[in-house]
Amino acid sequence: MRSLKKHIFLIGLLLVLAAEVVTLIAFAAQSIDNTQDAVAINEAIQSVQNDWNTMETHTNQTDLEYVVLDMEGAVVFKTKEGLSESINAAVIHRDTVLDINVNNVIVGKIILYNDSAQIMQNRKQSAVIILLAAILVQGGICIGYTIYLNRTVIKPFHKLEGFAERVAGGNLDVPLEMDRHNLFGAFTESFDIMRAELKKARIAEAEANASKKELVAKLSHDIKTPVASIKAASEVGAVFTSDEKIKDNYAQIIRKADQINTLVTELFTATLEELQQLPVMPTDIESNELGILLESADYLNRAIIPDIPDCLIYADRLRLQQVFDNIFVNSYKYANTKIDITLRRDDDSLAVEIEDYGGGVETEELPILKEKFKRGSNAKNMDGAGLGLYISEYFMQQMQGQLDIQNGSTGLRVTVRIPLSGLI
Amino acid sequence: MREILLRTEKLSKSFSNGGNLQHVLKNIDLQLYKGDFTVIMGASGAGKSTLLYALSGMDTPTLGTITFGDEVISDFNSDELAVFRRKHCGFVFQQIYLIDGMSVMDNVLAAGLLVNKDKKALVKKAEEFFSAVDISEETQNKFPTQISGGEAQRVGIVRALINSPEILFADEPTGALNSKTGLDVLDTLTKFNDQGQSVVMVTHDMRSARRGNRILYLKDGVILGECDLGKYVHGDAERHTKLSAFLTEMGW
Repeated sequence: MRSLKKHIFLIGLLLVLAAEVVTLIAFAAQSIDNTQDAVAINEAIQSVQNDWNTMETHTNQTDLEYVVLDMEGAVVFKTKEGLSESINAAVIHRDTVLDINVNNVIVGKIILYNDSAQIMQNRKQSAVIILLAAILVQGGICIGYTIYLNRTVIKPFHKLEGFAERVAGGNLDVPLEMDRHNLFGAFTESFDIMRAELKKARIAEAEANASKKELVAKLSHDIKTPVASIKAASEVGAVFTSDEKIKDNYAQIIRKADQINTLVTELFTATLEELQQLPVMPTDIESNELGILLESADYLNRAIIPDIPDCLIYADRLRLQQVFDNIFVNSYKYANTKIDITLRRDDDSLAVEIEDYGGGVETEELPILKEKFKRGSNAKNMDGAGLGLYISEYFMQQMQGQLDIQNGSTGLRVTVRIPLSGLI
Repeated sequence: MREILLRTEKLSKSFSNGGNLQHVLKNIDLQLYKGDFTVIMGASGAGKSTLLYALSGMDTPTLGTITFGDEVISDFNSDELAVFRRKHCGFVFQQIYLIDGMSVMDNVLAAGLLVNKDKKALVKKAEEFFSAVDISEETQNKFPTQISGGEAQRVGIVRALINSPEILFADEPTGALNSKTGLDVLDTLTKFNDQGQSVVMVTHDMRSARRGNRILYLKDGVILGECDLGKYVHGDAERHTKLSAFLTEMGW
């Protein structure tokens, strides 16, 4: 039943087409009967011959129309008005003219009316009417079908277009309104299911992210609490000691505690993937501040901080501290020797060379040291992720500086090149 | 090879501004040569005057060194700097600061007597300078309130030169003067420079800048570029075109 309804237009169209074809064939096949009824003609002639002498009382006993003339051409009888009333007119109208014989003497003529043109006309008219009706019905069906298609196919597609745009734009809240009964019902419904699933996935992702952040927040809070205690204790310690050396050590502890705090705070926002978003904000710094940074990084006091050439450098204190911290911690881990620091001011940068006495690394390993998650062959038993120098180089690049690693004469030599202010 | 009069190395000057360090001069490496008319140009706040004060020993740099001859003046304390300034530097400012209670001549002599005790020789020298800057004998005996702004600035130049300084520092010397008297002052400076006086002038006025043979352009505490114009010749149209092109390039 449903399939019949579905195809109602098609079936209608086919039916009308069939009717048209049948009509045309019927019209073409119908042979036009131009023969005259010879019996009726004989009968008419007979009755006229019989009644010749009393033509006034003659009546037409056939269904033919005719006119009877005498030898002078005068009309003695006619079945109705409008027929050919002379031989001349009869010839023009292709009427049949026959003689009237009474006792083998021709006494007159009978003109039998030719009605084939009339019949033809009637047939033509009825054929035109039938075809017109068929065309009208066909047109109607076509218009109806177009309207139907528009409603069931084109409109839903337009709707789908807007829907896809919204989904692409991230608006997953607006459902796709669809009449489930239309041709595309099931099809569009699956689109809406896709939207709903996407929305669910997104909510789940946001929740997962939030819980991760929550965990990091909790962890960082857990870390910050003991660090705060360390800092407070150091501050108290610093107040109550008069020994300058111990005071310095306390100051060092406080600085490091502050640094831990800063780094932990960053954990909130910075995951490993978000590394590229770690902000590096260089400013103009007086070069003598490098002394504090280097001293702070060298917490085992393995190096002697040399005189620092006077200049204004362009760097981010916190990030530069991280870079130095990395270099010193690496040296402590892998070389564990004393460390030499050399400072050199060039035209456009201040170079800080940090070299230990650990003998360096294999030459072919040098290039990979700065790569992400790559570590030297001697790093197997050391903890670490292989990120330190990678991040350090990123920081230096962000400051328009440079981080170079090479083998020096005594050990690994890391050169941190910090640009001078006013050059960029 | 020209004789270097004064040299800076990574000269930086910072000011604390409500807890914020503001770096007005950044790593300036500069040499000033003997006999030059050096002009320091730049927009307001570029650090022109700060540079002039550091170069002339009126202020000490935050970082870097300034060397005058064999002396590292950036290491001087304020007393040593005062002596250095008195002996080697002459100053002309926008404001002239003549002492109202003294005659024009006495104003000049007071400055001279700080260094040279021979008053007779000083008076002779002052008279020579006064005639060179068209200050009549009558005007020399007037008091500062009785003379015009243009005259006062020319007196200021005489006062600055009385001790034969190695460098004459001028900070917007025509800033407070009208066009005509400003031109007189510029002519005076040009004249002394022609006689071998080294001049360092800060200005943001292009007409003044044209007098220099070496133009430095300062921007955000950095010397962005410099332009060699050659010695000043009056009515040199090409000089003006060259300076304009340079300033346009610097983003003036």
